[in-house]
Amino acid sequence: MVNVFLRELKALRKSLVIWCIGILAMVAGGMSKYGATESAGQSINELMVSMPKALQAIMGTGSLDLTTVSGYYGILFLYLIVMTTIHAVMLGANIVSKEERDKTAEFLLVKPISRKQVIFSKWMASLVAIIVINLVTFLISHIMVDYYNKTDDSYLIDIAELMGGMFILQLLFLCLGTSIAASMKHPKRAASISTAVLLITFFLSMVIDLNENLEILSVFTPFKYFEAKDIIGGTGYEALYIMLSIILVVVLTIYTFIAYEKRDLHI
Amino acid sequence: MNIFLHELRAYRKSTIIWTISLMVLVLFFMALFPSFTKDAEQVNELLKTLPEALRKAVGIEIGSFTSILGFYSYVFMYITLCGAIQAMMIGASILSKEVREKTVDFLLTKPVSRSTVIVSKLSAAFVSIAITSLFFVLWAYFIALYVRTDDFNEQAFFLLSFTLFFVQVMFLAIGVIASMLLPKLKSVLSISLGVVFAFFFIGMFGSTVGEASVRYITPFKYFDSMYIIKNSQYEWSYLIVGLMWVITALVASFFIYTKRDMDAV
Repeated sequence: MVNVFLRELKALRKSLVIWCIGILAMVAGGMSKYGATESAGQSINELMVSMPKALQAIMGTGSLDLTTVSGYYGILFLYLIVMTTIHAVMLGANIVSKEERDKTAEFLLVKPISRKQVIFSKWMASLVAIIVINLVTFLISHIMVDYYNKTDDSYLIDIAELMGGMFILQLLFLCLGTSIAASMKHPKRAASISTAVLLITFFLSMVIDLNENLEILSVFTPFKYFEAKDIIGGTGYEALYIMLSIILVVVLTIYTFIAYEKRDLHI
Repeated sequence: MNIFLHELRAYRKSTIIWTISLMVLVLFFMALFPSFTKDAEQVNELLKTLPEALRKAVGIEIGSFTSILGFYSYVFMYITLCGAIQAMMIGASILSKEVREKTVDFLLTKPVSRSTVIVSKLSAAFVSIAITSLFFVLWAYFIALYVRTDDFNEQAFFLLSFTLFFVQVMFLAIGVIASMLLPKLKSVLSISLGVVFAFFFIGMFGSTVGEASVRYITPFKYFDSMYIIKNSQYEWSYLIVGLMWVITALVASFFIYTKRDMDAV
């Protein structure tokens, strides 16, 4: 069991490094543009606030204060969420389905460990991977925001809260990926289908931004659960969404174990 | 010819799914236009006072924004993102899947040359994405006719919509060359999403800095929607550079494929 866990971690090492470089480029590139908007001063902010909500959505700002470094980072946060959840969902789908794709499923399952243990080890390895991604994002974000921060306030708490929300989303999409991969008849398609689900929910969240009347659909898209504007704005997490995420994570995880236990492997 | 038809059939289902997804996506977004346009006047006033840097960051310029073309160009940004993923996935998989699925010796022992194989496969890929683009453009046009509040420049609309095809061709070429340069490619989806999103984000952030330098890097910025809307034509320098990229990548792939040592079973 420990062997499977270590083996998976080793296999994930290279892709983790690539993802971390991607996040670094993203945060560094995004924050370097802060200078351009910062110089424009308070006037943007007043404008932004008075704009219709749909337009704020197209601008990607919502009610974020663009003149502060944390508000600007809030815009970037949306893209970071997209990146890290794509990573999580593909990781979840691949880590389960790759044995069948690479035709190593027989080799693995004739070892004297149960399927539950296999899934558990793989699940733990993925958990380590998303924690690493989360901590790296946290670290890079903190350094970059701190670098551009000219005030005395520290945004460490804000960023930590954002990362907390991001972690729950990563976990949610990881479980989504594993449950799809564990229950699909054709494991080859697991990654595509999980990514499709992710993109659909992402576009749904954008449609909701464009039209306030659709607010009620927020429950269906995790991208609406933890929004930068609420967390930085001070309202913090919403209990409903936290509960919903936890229930989804638990249900999907249990489902992964049950489905993989029973499934007919595609060899 | 058989290979061509076989590949078309193999990609039929995914092409249909992608085409329908793009159609649904544009339908959903464009359906919001009527409610959006109500605030048009107010928005236009406000936009004029925005600082240059901020306006560029979101790829929207004054005036054309609250019109249907302006709104459509915003939506279209995400359509091309999806189209690019589709094209890159076809490009990266169509040659490499034979090796991955261990069918390459079956294919290459048939009495056809490797150049016939690659030409047939690439033609099938082109036809698949051309079908997607064609259906999308017609569909988008009907939606635009339905939700419009005013007349709009139809020529600009079609020119803008067809950039979907050009962006797809570029990503198809990137996918093909990537699968040739990375012979051990295992997961087509991962590399496709990675590359496409990387270029997409470069484009998003790049447009705030000096434009010209970044615009040649990412295929998403080869066609500036505002320029097309304003002038009803493409920027020829970008079109030519893009075409050169595509040809270079495809010719290089052709030579690599005909010379490559294939992993047989």
